[in-house]
Amino acid sequence: MSTSPVLQINDLYASVEGKQILKGVNLTVRGGEVHAIMGPNGTGKSTLASALMGHPKYEVTGGTALLDGENLLELAVDERARQGLFLAMQYPSEVSGVSNANFMRIALNARLGEGHEMPVLKFHRELQKKMKALSMDPSFAERYLNEGFSGGEKKRNEILQMTVLKPRIAILDEIDSGLDIDALRIVAEGVNSLRGPEFGLLVITHYQRLLQYIVPDYVHVMMQGRIVRSGGRELALELEQRGYDWLKEELGIVDETVSAGV
Amino acid sequence: MSVLKDRSVMAKDLEMYSATRLEPDYVVQLRQRALELYEALPVPQYEKSDLTNRRVDAFTINTTPPDEHLWRPVAEPYIAQHAEAPLLVIADGVLVYSRGLEAAAAQGVIFKSLQEAVVSHPELIKQYLHSVVPQDENQFIALNSALWRNGAFVYIPRNMMWEAPLQMISVTTVGGHGTFVHNLILAEAQSQVQFVEIYAAPPTLSDELHVGVTEVVVQDGAHVKIGTLHDFPTHSTNVIVRRAKVLRDGQMDWIAGEVSEGYTVMEFGSVLEGQGSRSTSHAIAFGSKRAHFDLTSRMVHVAKFSDSDTTARGVMQDQAEAVYRGLTHILKGASGANGQQSEKLLMLSPESRANAIPMLLIDENDVKCGHAASVGQINEDQLFYLMSRGISEAEAKRMVVWGFIDPVLSELPIAAVREAVESVLERKMA
Repeated sequence: MSTSPVLQINDLYASVEGKQILKGVNLTVRGGEVHAIMGPNGTGKSTLASALMGHPKYEVTGGTALLDGENLLELAVDERARQGLFLAMQYPSEVSGVSNANFMRIALNARLGEGHEMPVLKFHRELQKKMKALSMDPSFAERYLNEGFSGGEKKRNEILQMTVLKPRIAILDEIDSGLDIDALRIVAEGVNSLRGPEFGLLVITHYQRLLQYIVPDYVHVMMQGRIVRSGGRELALELEQRGYDWLKEELGIVDETVSAGV
Repeated sequence: MSVLKDRSVMAKDLEMYSATRLEPDYVVQLRQRALELYEALPVPQYEKSDLTNRRVDAFTINTTPPDEHLWRPVAEPYIAQHAEAPLLVIADGVLVYSRGLEAAAAQGVIFKSLQEAVVSHPELIKQYLHSVVPQDENQFIALNSALWRNGAFVYIPRNMMWEAPLQMISVTTVGGHGTFVHNLILAEAQSQVQFVEIYAAPPTLSDELHVGVTEVVVQDGAHVKIGTLHDFPTHSTNVIVRRAKVLRDGQMDWIAGEVSEGYTVMEFGSVLEGQGSRSTSHAIAFGSKRAHFDLTSRMVHVAKFSDSDTTARGVMQDQAEAVYRGLTHILKGASGANGQQSEKLLMLSPESRANAIPMLLIDENDVKCGHAASVGQINEDQLFYLMSRGISEAEAKRMVVWGFIDPVLSELPIAAVREAVESVLERKMA
């Protein structure tokens, strides 16, 4: 495995329950880079995230997605994760009866592989350190996974998992929704602590606000299930100030959602 | 189901059996009366369990001594654990092993086989046997009453707080004779005790009928916990009734583990006869292969301010099926009563079936009653979530299932039952 990861998405098509959502997405994310995908609701942003991770509801109908040259689409969900892909979810599941710490330890050991498991004490020490950095109460380690967590607590827990698992490529799916400004700053710090040549990041968001804290190198706009415009971080600012209408006009798009043209 | 093939033959067999065991006359009479009742009573009808094609009458009285090579491997894991706890091992109705009984007796605690108790404590047996579960309640109870071979007798004197759980393990090694176990637990006022009953058999056992009855009397202010575990193989039919009568301010806690692969109809619960009496029940059922469970937790509120709380978790895999009834019955006059129940069942395979039926029968106005029931399949999003962190599908499923059971399992108040259920689940979970 090369030290700097690369995720290459080529002409990706995906559908949900027979409905075509992604219609030819092309994107390359390399280690050290932060990409942001913006766009109005219903344009396929979250579908891209779920399809890459392999949610069973999403069927990939065309194209490829390679992580370090390995075709992700041929791998099971857990294999994609062990390959180094991570998805911080918009709506993480609650799992009763499974403690947060135990879950993360099992996940980490699965990633490290047999014979390379982290000693229990070392794990708990590091977990507590990371929780502290995210201003999470130590009791969250023993609580059932996401059960009874507030929206903000769930988001922090997603970032906590990411800092524990240290993925090569991470996708944050609207990690900012439901976070107040203090929580947003803390979460962003957690994300930024991973930044480096061995970590590539894809941030999906509606709002430019998050991108003040997690500064992207590239900004992409998604409409009708594909990327219609790419630029630097100034594109995000422009969208924030001017909305999407000018872009739609420029591109000759009337309905930006994925149902357009079906 | 038909009646016994030849009652006069059976009655003679029974008489001889009683005679060889030197049973007192009152026991002989109880048995003969039960045999008559068995003939006269109608076959019980279970809405969700059809017993027509089960072989429930093909048994003869077994007089062969149990083979240690057969019962020992089944009982050994339980014998090896909790060496401090008094223990009775009954194989095919014969007491084959015991420990810790003298130490208990020194404290005034009677813990012995029912077979011995009918001789040593006739006054207690006469007064309480069938005082909670009447002989004529149904045909199966009558059958148990006629043919019971053994069981545990527990007597805790007034004010005695007995710590170590009293354990009884019943092993059936030979099929075709029926296993009829009867337990009688008497807790005098302000006393405290835990009783554990475990039923197991070698996997090769075939065509076996097991009818079990456990009666409990919880006197004023006493606190009884009973943990039960059934682990019967595929070709078994199990009909079980467990009931406690709870008097003023008494408390009865039921903990039931059901992991049999056969056909099981069980009712357990309490009749809350005393003001301020309380009962809880925790049940965990795990069905594999073609297991059939028909489980009813039954809480009857007779007295004012009586309180019951029922929790159940069921997991069905393969072609297993389960119906779980939570019955809370609040009688007229039981004002201030509070009955709560929660049942959750999980189906792991497309062929498994589960059904949760909360039943609230309320004849009094001033009461509190609540229920929550759910039946579902393993959640696809939960699996995806766990797998998205690198956990394999098999491991993720295990985590979800354990997580489903654990909130009840970890609360089971008797460590021996909790561990036994855990280890059986570990073994059976696909």
